[in-house]
Amino acid sequence: MRLNQSLVTANAFEKHLVNRRRKKNWGARSTGFNLMLTSMVDMFSMLVVFLLQTFSSSPEILVLKGVALPDSITPSIVREAPVLSIAKDGYLYLDQKLVGKTTDITKKPDELLGRLNAIKKNWSTSHTNPFSGEINLQADKEVQSTTVSMVMGILTTSQFQAIQLAVIGK
Amino acid sequence: MSRKLGLGPKRGLDFELNLTSFIDLLSTCTCFLLITAVWIQIGTVEIKQSHGTEAASEPKDSVDLDLVFKSPSELALNLKKNGKQFKTYNLKTSTHAELNEKLGQLVTSEGMGAEGSKLNIGVATVTPRSTVNYGELVSTLDILRKNKIVNIGVLTARGQ
Repeated sequence: MRLNQSLVTANAFEKHLVNRRRKKNWGARSTGFNLMLTSMVDMFSMLVVFLLQTFSSSPEILVLKGVALPDSITPSIVREAPVLSIAKDGYLYLDQKLVGKTTDITKKPDELLGRLNAIKKNWSTSHTNPFSGEINLQADKEVQSTTVSMVMGILTTSQFQAIQLAVIGK
Repeated sequence: MSRKLGLGPKRGLDFELNLTSFIDLLSTCTCFLLITAVWIQIGTVEIKQSHGTEAASEPKDSVDLDLVFKSPSELALNLKKNGKQFKTYNLKTSTHAELNEKLGQLVTSEGMGAEGSKLNIGVATVTPRSTVNYGELVSTLDILRKNKIVNIGVLTARGQ
């Protein structure tokens, strides 16, 4: 039985590594180190493939700090729109800027309506497409559902009728 | 002897790969992808609050579904056709998870769904309650969306 020569003999790269190690042992101890290029390239390749697979080019929205979004098994893709957030402490934020306490705003929504109208007016200057009435609503999962629905009512009166509830996809 | 004439000297099959540029490229790719990676997959659940103005364009054979929360574990389902209620279901369980499971079973068994189903649901309206939190509301909306009922509205406390 004859063995395949390529399995028995070292290739050029392995010979180079062996020779380098020998040379190192002849003189004083080297401060350098051996870098296993094959395994490093393997690792890099696997990382690149994994990251490319998980790469997403869809728009992302900033989640307000401290807001725990509810989970959903049927999420749709996020679309670019203003973001209204209801924090667990009861404060309302529009595009990460504080508007006020949610209980006060539901009673007197003038401040929020003013800011929403400003967004509508500025829409044509910053966007090429006409105003679609879309808005992303983030709310903490512990917030009362009636509070969220009252905020939705304010949004509907301000012509933001396509409300997208932000969720975490399972 | 076996070589054919006129082909010139035999070329080596081995070639050298420049690892430096290869590693450079991979490092750059890895850094870029790590920076732009999204670790939390955020999605949206679409709510259409404008169904009141679109009522005229709805098909006449469609049925409206009203879901009224009484508590996190109790729900009433009202089926309406042309504004008239013709069927009611009351679901009562011990937990909200069980309620969702029961709702899913009911929706499937009664054939409620999109166009082409036994009961073509045009619009589903959910009436929340203060004892029901937002997370529970979204999980119920999920059950409807899972059964192809996507035209969902949430009734506000003022009845809008």
